[in-house]
Amino acid sequence: MTEEPYRWLEAIGNRREYVREQLKGGSPVFAASLRDGILLLGVGAGHSKVFELFDRHALAGLGHPADIEKIRQAAIDAAHLEAFNRAPEDVSLRRLIGFGLSPQLKTNFEQIFSAPFLVEFLLAEVGAEPGQDLIARLHFDGAFQLHTKGAVVAASQPEPETAAQTWLNQMLAGKTDRGETVEVLLQAWWCLTENKSLNEGVPSEAERRDGWRKAANGRTVEIGWLARKGNRRARFEELTLAHLGL
Amino acid sequence: MSDPSPIAGDFFSLLARHHAPPSRADTSPDAPAQTQATTVFAFHFADGVLMGGDRRATAGNIIVTDRVDKVLELDATSLLAIAGVPATAFEMARVLETSFEYYRRSQLQSLSLPAKVRALARLLRENLPMTMQGVGVVMPLFAGVDQTVSPPAPQIYFYDPLGAQFHAVGYAASGSGAGTIRSILSFQDRYGRPRPTQMDLQQAVQFALRLLMIASEFDSATGGVNPDAHTFATIKVLRGAGVETIAAEKQAELLKA
Repeated sequence: MTEEPYRWLEAIGNRREYVREQLKGGSPVFAASLRDGILLLGVGAGHSKVFELFDRHALAGLGHPADIEKIRQAAIDAAHLEAFNRAPEDVSLRRLIGFGLSPQLKTNFEQIFSAPFLVEFLLAEVGAEPGQDLIARLHFDGAFQLHTKGAVVAASQPEPETAAQTWLNQMLAGKTDRGETVEVLLQAWWCLTENKSLNEGVPSEAERRDGWRKAANGRTVEIGWLARKGNRRARFEELTLAHLGL
Repeated sequence: MSDPSPIAGDFFSLLARHHAPPSRADTSPDAPAQTQATTVFAFHFADGVLMGGDRRATAGNIIVTDRVDKVLELDATSLLAIAGVPATAFEMARVLETSFEYYRRSQLQSLSLPAKVRALARLLRENLPMTMQGVGVVMPLFAGVDQTVSPPAPQIYFYDPLGAQFHAVGYAASGSGAGTIRSILSFQDRYGRPRPTQMDLQQAVQFALRLLMIASEFDSATGGVNPDAHTFATIKVLRGAGVETIAAEKQAELLKA
């Protein structure tokens, strides 16, 4: 079948459609670069979505837990090998994705007789200054985009993801408080999971506040914080809603 | 031959799979003079464990530097005090630091205290050829937090050069000045008012600095403490909640108080 080019294209198209279908209903994850660090957020139901990768690096993902785990392990292995053989300062998100994770995901996606990875990721690297922060949006097929500021969203469908990202960057402009940021991210999470538009006819703030609290009830809100400054090399910290006064 | 089977969360397995083991150099009998000699110690005080060390490195009768940190933070709840050949000891610290963090991040839980204690014993055993040649001997102290008790309790361990591990009930010391320190600690533990376990942070830091001052009087390879020259020790405190570094300024303040 794959000897014929159009068949291969068709198979890849089917595969993309299959992955998107499988990811439907996945709980979106968020990352936001703030003055004092980078905040990552995910809302899970039993499986973790936000993870520490290395000293200044963290990951948030949605998709099949086993696939998230495989990519997470690959990223941790690569980062620690690099840090041990060179230095922790040599571990960079740009290299980790560009030369490690992205090619692996692309190869897997194009091997049409093997199961595809059902994953969407955000990876973050906190810098010494806000302008040096890096947030990468990594897709199941290995494609990725790098962002140096603002909020970035990983959702199962591209259009709502773009709308949520635009809305969030408007809402979070000038915000530095972690609690306020988490509140807005959770409102966006609720709108995405409930298929509420973030382009036109955005639900009122009261509705959004009430909505996420009801929807998150019984689920785990995971918040990861990569602090810009600290006494220790490892800058990742897990936060809770109570810790942020929410 | 196939690659060795990986052990989940084991950094040594990962290194072996990538053919990048920590360096194991054979030494020549004509090896240059080793940088060594030191005084490091740890004792329990009221809040947890205080671990301290002088900052001098010597090679024979030459003082190489007075700015070495011999008490190292391996992770949020582990301290290592190194005595012996720094080249080997610092590499051991680097291996352990990466190994503990790799396990914590990949397995989503911290390595247990017994596993950390054995990891250091394993490195010492692997260093046996260097130790037997007399050019790579390391006798470290380790402090970690036992998370199986409530509240979590810091513990002290010491080692012999072959890798045997010993749990220190009250205190431990290593290095060329350790004999002096052990004598004072033993006396203070038995007859002192307060005993080390009854000391608050200020008393413990003052006591630690005075220990090093005395050790340096009897051991030329121990740097000691000289407030006039703003030369202090490396002092770290391990509590159930984590590590605190007592900076030189704070040491100066506590010594005056």
